[in-house]
Amino acid sequence: MLHRNSLTATIASAFVVVWALAAPSAEAQSSAANGKAIFTSAGCIACHGAQAEGTSLAPAIAPPPLDLAAMITYVRQPTGKMPPVPVATASDKQLADVFAYLQSIAPKTASADELKGNSENGKKLFVAYGCYECHGRQGAGASTGPRIGPPAITLAAVLRYVRAPTGQMPPYTAKVVPDQDLADIYAYLKSFPSPQPAKDIPILNQ
Amino acid sequence: MRKPTKDSVNRRDFLRAAAAGTAALVVNPAAQAANAASPQPARPAAPPPLLKLAPDERSAAEVITVDRPGSDFMVDVLKTLNFEYLCANPGNTFRSLHESLINYGGNQAPEFITCCHEESSVAMGHGYAKIEGKPLLVCVHGTVGLQHASMAIYDAFCDRVPVYIILGNFGDSAERFGQVDWTHAAQDPAAMIRDFVKWDDRPVSLQGFSESAVRAYKIAMTPPMSPVALVADHELQESAIRDGAELAVPKLTTVSPPVGDSAAVGEAAKMLVAAENPVLVTDRVARTPAGLAGMIELAELLQAPVIDRNGRMNFPTRHQLNHTERGGAAIANADVIAGLELTDFWSTVNTVEGQVTPHIRPATKPGTKLISITANDLYLKSNYQDFQRYAPVDLAVGADAEATLPSLIEAVKREITDDRKRMFADRGAKHAATHRQVMQAQREAATSGWDASPISTARMSAEIWAQIQDQDWSLVSNCQFVSRWPLRLWNFNKHYHYIGGEGGYGVGYGAPAAVGAALANRKHGRLTVCIQNDGDLMFAPGVLWTAAHHRIPLLIVMHNNRAYHQELMQVQVMADRHQRGITNASIGSVLVDPAIDYSKVAQGFGLHAEGPISDPNDLAPAIRRAIEVVKSGNPALIDVLTQPR
Repeated sequence: MLHRNSLTATIASAFVVVWALAAPSAEAQSSAANGKAIFTSAGCIACHGAQAEGTSLAPAIAPPPLDLAAMITYVRQPTGKMPPVPVATASDKQLADVFAYLQSIAPKTASADELKGNSENGKKLFVAYGCYECHGRQGAGASTGPRIGPPAITLAAVLRYVRAPTGQMPPYTAKVVPDQDLADIYAYLKSFPSPQPAKDIPILNQ
Repeated sequence: MRKPTKDSVNRRDFLRAAAAGTAALVVNPAAQAANAASPQPARPAAPPPLLKLAPDERSAAEVITVDRPGSDFMVDVLKTLNFEYLCANPGNTFRSLHESLINYGGNQAPEFITCCHEESSVAMGHGYAKIEGKPLLVCVHGTVGLQHASMAIYDAFCDRVPVYIILGNFGDSAERFGQVDWTHAAQDPAAMIRDFVKWDDRPVSLQGFSESAVRAYKIAMTPPMSPVALVADHELQESAIRDGAELAVPKLTTVSPPVGDSAAVGEAAKMLVAAENPVLVTDRVARTPAGLAGMIELAELLQAPVIDRNGRMNFPTRHQLNHTERGGAAIANADVIAGLELTDFWSTVNTVEGQVTPHIRPATKPGTKLISITANDLYLKSNYQDFQRYAPVDLAVGADAEATLPSLIEAVKREITDDRKRMFADRGAKHAATHRQVMQAQREAATSGWDASPISTARMSAEIWAQIQDQDWSLVSNCQFVSRWPLRLWNFNKHYHYIGGEGGYGVGYGAPAAVGAALANRKHGRLTVCIQNDGDLMFAPGVLWTAAHHRIPLLIVMHNNRAYHQELMQVQVMADRHQRGITNASIGSVLVDPAIDYSKVAQGFGLHAEGPISDPNDLAPAIRRAIEVVKSGNPALIDVLTQPR
């Protein structure tokens, strides 16, 4: 009996890893107009699309799923398949401009703001819908899927992503998972505290 | 034709003589030879004459002992090959060899290790060879036994590991006693595995066996190494050795591994030294400790990052040039990539994306040069596709990478100028800083779900490391199924610290390979550790009894996620894609109701066992207790309820 393991090997490096990154805040003044030019010149459009709407190669990133500091950290040293963006290609200030540009072109997502999640129901759905299989039973993440508990992105971004994910994550369409269920799952994942720092755990420093 | 001895007549001779209508069993060799040369040999027209003999006639006629069976000589041959152990599940197609090994051979070198499944026998040999660097002997029963063994043979073949297999068989149809003998006989016994062994043979004489046995060993141990199979027909084992037979065992001369020619190696060195961002990608380089030392020297000379695919223990995990955990970024930034015994070069430099239709894009920047050094270019088979997608490299050195490392290192030294040395030093400092950041990122990632129950695989790995780090340890299980946490957190720096995975991704390898590796580690006094997947153990759990029976010290920590989890994810993907039944994906893939109590299973096989443990705070004391048992020379198991990956 032979088994296929390619999913494990590839899923970890998918772009969905952007979900996982925590975010110390470091907002900066920016210019959306300048950001639009850099978005093109730095080659972002090649994978993310002209309107950052996402392609088969990379996810939609308008609005940006991370805060500015986290975005800068990620693009300097991406953990997925995304090539790194060195300072020579785009400085931190220029990335702040790109961030502003991505915020400015984001589609409106009023429906997400109107949804109220039920954490208890979300806990059940998280298992029933199989989310735990790749992300762990508390959304803590694994080689098969990034940490999503607590989520680092907005519910609106979650709703967009799970309908048309990139990488190896399967699509959860509205036909099988209503927006309300996703809001419940989101509320469940929000109930987890952020992990403690590694320096506070002695056996992780041996 | 083999001739009978005066006082020692085998079953074939007896039957042949009886079929000719005589009870006189002292056969005249000349008459027999003349009979064989007859153009119309007599055929028995009556039922087997044994049935016609009255009891006292039979006892008077049949000589029913054999003083020196052919299998004794087989043992003489096998002892010259210095096998420490023989792993086998008993089978009557090799019953004579079995008896000769334990009595004539004294059950030493090789010592019989009783296995409960042929898949376990072979996989034990697989794990043993990756620690010890040489094969043990496996005996396999005809047909059904080999069918059991076949997946494990395929795993070893894909993993380029030598396993030495002797197949029993009832070759001569006239020698078969009944239905079972016929059912367990084959015209060409090795046919079913010929696509995934490097060589097989079916010798028809003892001298032929001798030469083929030595040849098989030589072939198995020549890189690329692979399993070999030798058929030992029942009759050849059980017939008496002919008086005056001049049998000899040829000298074993192992083949020096293929080394890259100097021009190609020199060209590779020039490319690596001239590169601004060279990257070394390893998979099955380090067959021996020399491979690990060579990789460190090469990487440090070039100050080039290493991405380890971990088919073997190729590079220390905490070395500042180990950039495995940021492999994608390193590949994207490389201008020269050298793959050393890299099984899948194509997937290293290409990315496949998309949900339904694969979209391929290069993972490298335009113009990146590719160098391959692998013995796999010297040996391929056709049917099974383990050779992976064709990789159009710029320089292909057909050679064993470990054996080529010394000449490559010398060639690199010759190419390095003082200017390049300064540049390499700067490069190395940057790589060291990046390595520190990446390692810190691993530790931070490990904190996620730290106190979760079921226990996170990161927490479990960290708790094991805390207890073994001061010991002389050896991890003998694949880390892929626990999110690679040991490789991300532990300090791997010795050849036996890691042995890679299945090779062929055949589940059922894990438990027996770990026991085989622990068997090899036993005489070195190492603390052998296995993080054991629950689904894998359920294929052939009897190997736990083998470990207990033979006092093989091994710490087994169950990664019990109560599922064939890989397949569960695959079915979930299909349900999502098909937009139906997404809550049903667990049907057929989970191991619950009842949940399997692995501590009771292990206790039933005679192991010290604890669990199931679901509170992470209970792990450390349980591991400490189990290690004490292992240090006393026995296996121990801890059942841990874990997160899926």
